[in-house]
This record gives sequence, structure tokens and C-alpha cells, in this order.
Amino acid sequence: MIEFYRVSKEYQGRRVLRDVTFKTKKGEFLFLTGPSGAGKSTLLKLIFHAEKPTEGQIIVNGMNVSGMPASRVPALRRSMGIVFQDYKLLPARTVLDNVTYVQKFLGVPAAERRRRAYQTLRLVELHHRLAALPEELSGGEQQRVALARALVNEPVLLVADEPTGNLDHRLAGEVMKLLQDISVRGTTVLVATHDQELVKAAGRRCLTLDRGRVVEGLVEAALPSQAATKRADSGRVERAP
Amino acid sequence: MNRPAALAALVSEAFEGLARARRMTSLSVALIAISIGLVGAFFLVAENLKSVVETVRDESTVTVFLKSSSTEADRADLERLAKETRLIARMRRVSPDEARARFSTWWKSLGPAARSLPGNPFPASLEMELDPAAVTSDALLPFLKLLASHGAAEEVQFDVEWIRRLHGAVSLARLTGLVLAVFLTLGAAFTIANVVRLTILLHRDEIEILRLVGAPEFLIRGPYLLGGLVQGFLGALLALALLWVVTRAVLAWVAATKNALLGVFAVRFLPASACLLLITFGLVAGLLGGLLAVRRRNLAG
Repeated sequence: MIEFYRVSKEYQGRRVLRDVTFKTKKGEFLFLTGPSGAGKSTLLKLIFHAEKPTEGQIIVNGMNVSGMPASRVPALRRSMGIVFQDYKLLPARTVLDNVTYVQKFLGVPAAERRRRAYQTLRLVELHHRLAALPEELSGGEQQRVALARALVNEPVLLVADEPTGNLDHRLAGEVMKLLQDISVRGTTVLVATHDQELVKAAGRRCLTLDRGRVVEGLVEAALPSQAATKRADSGRVERAP
Repeated sequence: MNRPAALAALVSEAFEGLARARRMTSLSVALIAISIGLVGAFFLVAENLKSVVETVRDESTVTVFLKSSSTEADRADLERLAKETRLIARMRRVSPDEARARFSTWWKSLGPAARSLPGNPFPASLEMELDPAAVTSDALLPFLKLLASHGAAEEVQFDVEWIRRLHGAVSLARLTGLVLAVFLTLGAAFTIANVVRLTILLHRDEIEILRLVGAPEFLIRGPYLLGGLVQGFLGALLALALLWVVTRAVLAWVAATKNALLGVFAVRFLPASACLLLITFGLVAGLLGGLLAVRRRNLAG
């Protein structure tokens, strides 16, 4: 699904990511954590080619992203779902339009678009708000619409950047549960968050960014003391937090 | 990808975009209409001047007044000369009696006076109707000189110069229209480019989101490009509609006026070819404007 081989990223001489190597499995749910400015968003941007790596190779869904020409980037992004902290919904469009906007341009017939949108919105329990505008929804609902938009193409990979960052604790829990349900269905889910409570509560594999390097570990739910450390696939081992 | 459905989505998106920014779209269409309307006005003037030239040209007759001493052989010689030049479509002999009768018909109040004269003062003449192409022919002036120098000719009546000047005026109006068309089309293109660019700025977030969710680039740019084309087309249509209204108003005024001079003006609207040309200017302006606006620099998120 996602494979990083010795990936580094520099901004104007400042190295944000150093020698990052990791691999994910199909249907895996994993976290990407680290303090603000650790490079979480940069790593995610590398995955959906919003940034190019300075060094190293990135393979996403079988496609080599590192040297990918601009013309192939839309196809890469359509092969995955992306969820943002600020939802990035089209403000003047209804929930239905937001979820089906790209499908419309890909020539998916209206009836089929509506069917897919209804099914996906049902999954996030917003199938009764098809005609609502984003401003009429709560933050949690908006994030669920964004999640539905990311899922409507049935992606094999879902990348979420601080998906609960703007939500209260209860709504954050709801969104996390949804994301875990999605991974159970076979979608690989990578969630970037700085919320350690959320990570501990989920008890899943966790990639922690520390001064640009990935520190890998497994966090067990309810048993944080048993958090194990192990070597990443590349053999690069550092202690988990 | 289902291309027809994708294209339909692109078209509907372009129209929705124009409708959402309807004030700006209206302003843009109005500015384009003014630009193209000015070009059209020049074409319209040229077209109507051309019709005057055609009217005058069609009625162009060279009149050779004959000396009273001229003989039948002289008249036959003049007719032979005219035939040889191939500039003359038809010829007609007018006798002194016929000339007097015409005078009495045309100038009714002076008719009795003409009839009361002891003799007939009107000379015989030869009326030569010029071939339409003869007015601009280089052979015309030498021919007129030849007629004037003929021993039987008292006077040759034909003013080729003013017809040629009129012809020149038509060409100038057309050329001015075309030069103006180039500049005004560019001006209209910049107007469209700025309107589309403003629309893009208004939808910057939308464009960024579309990119992030994997919308193909041509579908992101397409609606804006198409929006430019539609604005150019609507601007040209509006310009044609305004010109048509102006033409009808002038026509009504000419019909109502009693000025005999305006009788030569058969006011007419632009021919289909000129209308198509103006619409093409609109489309070119729209396409140029759209292309300028959707350059990657402007669409960069």
C-alpha cells in the first residue's frame, strides 16, 4: 500500500524528514504521530504527491510517486481517499455534490453517483442530510461528509491529516471508530494526529516522527505499558515513545 | 471515463460558474459587446457605403453630347469605339426632341418655357451605360478622354473621380474596421481574461480541493476556458443585436425623412459573412481570454 525507502525532504536547506523508511500492509490501520512541526503533514503530502521527496523512493498503491509526472497525479489521488483537519468541503455545494463532485466530472451517471453517495453517507450516518450545505452542519458532521467523500471511490488507501483536530472528544471518538471500521473492510488507513490519548485508546501500530526520523512502535489499547518497540522493515530501530 | 457525460458535466459546470458570478459575467459580456459593436459599426458603415457605391455605379451613365454638325457616320464611329473598349454594357441614342420631352417631364414647371422657345436648344446625345466593373477599370479614363477628343463630341458628362473616392472611403472604412477588430478583440480578450481570473480567485479554494481529491486537470481548467468562450460568444451576439436595433432605427428615420439625398441610401444590415466574422472575433477573444486566465500560474493553489 505505502512504501517509503530512505525518504528525505528538505525545505530551503532545512531537513524536515530524514531517511524515512516504512511499509504498510493491506487493511492495516496505523497512526502517524509527533509534535507539531515534526513533519507529519509533509509525510502525508509526499504520499499524495503534494510535495516531492528530496531523496528516496515512495511507492503508493503500486505506483512510484517519487518521479511521477504531473499528468498522473490526479489518478494517484483518486486511488486513495484523503481527509483533512479543516474538512476542505466546497462551501457552496450540498453534501451530495461534495461527495460526488469528482465522480460527476469522471462521467459517472447521476443515478449511480446518487446511489454511491447514499450508501457512503449511510456509512457515516449522514444519508438524511443530502441536500444540506456544509455551513448547516456541525464540525463532526462536516468531517463525516469529508470522510464520505474520501470513501465514495472505495479507495484501497485512506490518508487522514488530523481528522479529529477540530472536534470535541466525543465526536473525535466517533470519527476514529468510523476510520477503524473502514480498515476492517480492507482499506489501509493512515491517520496523522498529535493526540496521544487517541493513539493510546486505539491501540494500533504507530509511526512516530521525531526530529524528522520515524520511530516505530505498537501501542496496545488499555495496556499502554506494554507498548512494544520493534524494528521497522528496513531494520532501522529506535525506541517507541 | 464516460467522455460524453464528463463533457456534459464540464459544460454545465461552466454555465453554473457564469450564473454564480452573474454580475461580473454581465459586465464582461457588456464590455465585449461594446468592443465588438464598435468593430461591427465600422463594418456596417462600410457595408452601407458599399451599397451607395453599388447604387451609383449601377446607375453610371456616360453621356456624350453631340455637336449639331455631327453626322450619322460620327455617331456610328462613337458607338464602335465604345463597343471596342468593352466598358459599356448598353448604349442608347437620344434625339433633341426626346431630350426636350425628358426635360419637360423632369422639370414640370419649366416645361412650357422650353416648349415656347423658337428652336430646340437640346443637343442630341449618346447615353452609354457602364459595365459595373468599368468604374474601377484603368481603361475608363483614357476612354473618356478619347470620347472627349472626338470631333463629333460637344461634351462628355461623367464624374468618375467621386465614385472612385467613395470606393476608397469604403475600403478605408473596411480596413479601419479590420485593424480596429484586431485591437478590440485583444482588448476583449484581456477583459475576459481578467473576469475569468477574478472568477478563479473567487474559486481558489474550490480549485485546491478539486486538485486534492484527484479531479483531472483539464476538468479543473475546462469550465473556466469554456466560460471565457461563452462570454465572448454572448458579447458578440449582444453586439449584433445592438447593431441590428441601430440599423432598424436608422432605416425608420430614413424612411420618415423627406431629404431626397438620403434616397440613395438603401440602409441594410450586415451580411451573414460579416455577422459570422464578428461572432468569430467574440469566440477568439473568449478563447484567448480563457487561455490567458487558466495558465498554470493563475491556477496554482
